[in-house]
Amino acid sequence: MELTSVIHGDGLFKKYGSFELDVPVLDIPQGFATALIGENGAGKSTLLDILAGIRLDYKGSLKFFGKYDDNDRENNPDVKNAIGYEGTGNYYLPMWTLKQGREVQKLLFRNFDENKYIELCRQLAVPEEESKKISDLSDGNHMKIKLAGVLSRDTDLLILDEPASPLDPLMRDKLCDMIREYLQRDEGGKSVLFSTHNISDMEAVTDYAIIVENGKIVEQGFVEDLKEKYVMVKGEKEDEEAARKVLYSISSNTYGFEGICLSGKLDELAGMHTVVEPATLSQICVAVMKNNSKLYGVN
Amino acid sequence: MIISQTSGIPIYQQIADSFRADILEGRLKEGEYLPSIRGLARDLKISVITTMKAYEMLDQEGLVTAVQGKGYVVNAQDGNMLKEQHMRKVEEGLMQAIQSARIAGLSENELIETLKLLITLKEN
Repeated sequence: MELTSVIHGDGLFKKYGSFELDVPVLDIPQGFATALIGENGAGKSTLLDILAGIRLDYKGSLKFFGKYDDNDRENNPDVKNAIGYEGTGNYYLPMWTLKQGREVQKLLFRNFDENKYIELCRQLAVPEEESKKISDLSDGNHMKIKLAGVLSRDTDLLILDEPASPLDPLMRDKLCDMIREYLQRDEGGKSVLFSTHNISDMEAVTDYAIIVENGKIVEQGFVEDLKEKYVMVKGEKEDEEAARKVLYSISSNTYGFEGICLSGKLDELAGMHTVVEPATLSQICVAVMKNNSKLYGVN
Repeated sequence: MIISQTSGIPIYQQIADSFRADILEGRLKEGEYLPSIRGLARDLKISVITTMKAYEMLDQEGLVTAVQGKGYVVNAQDGNMLKEQHMRKVEEGLMQAIQSARIAGLSENELIETLKLLITLKEN
C-alpha cells in the first residue's frame, strides 16, 4: 500500500503550565479517516488547534498535502480553502439567526455550496425556522450546523474536534455516513482527521487511530494492523496469576479474567485454558490508555 | 453481500470471501472491476481500511490486480486455480467430518463406509 501524508509534522511542541504537548513526528495518511483518541486533557484539542492554525504559538514545522507549510496555510487562499475545521467553541455571534449564520458562511468561504448546506441541514434535522437564534439551539443542533457548514465547502481535508460528542446515536450514525461519503467523493484524495471520546460509535469509520496520552502519542496505526497486534484473551481464575505476567492489560472478576495480549506473546499462554478473540478498537484503546495513563492506580 | 458483525469472522475476510466466490464462480469476469474501495466502504458502512485489506487479500491470491488510478481488475482465472480452490473446500469439509467422527468414536473404516454410502445416495 502506497502511503502519502496529508499532514506531516516535525518536532511539534507546545508547553503551558505543567502540560507539554510533544510530538516529534506526525503523519496523517491521505485518503483515510484518522481518529485522535485520548482522555480529557491528553492534548487532542491542542494538537488539532495547532494543525488547523487556530493556535500559532507552537514550535515545530508542518507540511500540508505534501507541499505547503504552515505559512501557506495562513496566507495562501488555495490552502486555506482546501482545509475545513470544526472546533468545540462557539463561532457565531449570539444574536445571529440560522439564516444569518448561513449567509455569513456564504460571504466567508468562496467554495461554500449554499444548496448543499440547506440539504445537509435538512438531512441532519436542524430546526427549519430560519429566524431562530443560533444561541437558542441545543448543543446537538449547534454541532449539526457546524458540520453542515464544513461539509458544504469543497475541501480536501477536514479537521473535526469531537464532532460526535453532542450528537445522539442516530446522528452519530449519520455523521459516520457523511464522513464515508466525503472520503468517497474523490477516491484517495480526501482525508478526515477527528478527535473522539466515543471510540465504539466511530470505530466503523476509523481507518487510522492515534492514541494520545499526557501530550504524547503512545500508539498509532491502521486499525486492521492494530487488531493484528493486540488480541483479546479470556481465561479461568486458576490461570489468572500466570496470565497477569504475560498480558498487556488485565481485568479480573469472580469467575475469571480478560485482557489484551500482544499477539507476539500468545505463545506464552500455552497450557492455560484461554479463549482468544479479535479485540475491538475500543478495547485496544482502553488498554493502551490504561497502560500509559498519568492517573496512578487506574489499572 | 451480507456482512455479519458478530460471526467472529473478520469483516475483511467476509468481503474477500464474497468476491472470491463471485470471481471463481464466474459472476465477476476477467477485465471487470471491483467496486471502488471508498464506494464499497460507504455502501457497507464500514471503514476504508477494512475494504482495502479485503482487496489486498484478493490481490495476493492472484485473483485481482491493482491498476494505478483505476482500482482492482479481475484477472483471467485458469482452470487449475479453480480446481485448487474447490479442493480446499473439499479438504475443509472432510477435516470437519474427521473431527466429528473422532468425537463420535467412529473407526476409520466406518467413516469411509459412511462417505461411500452418502456418495451412492447422492448419485441415485
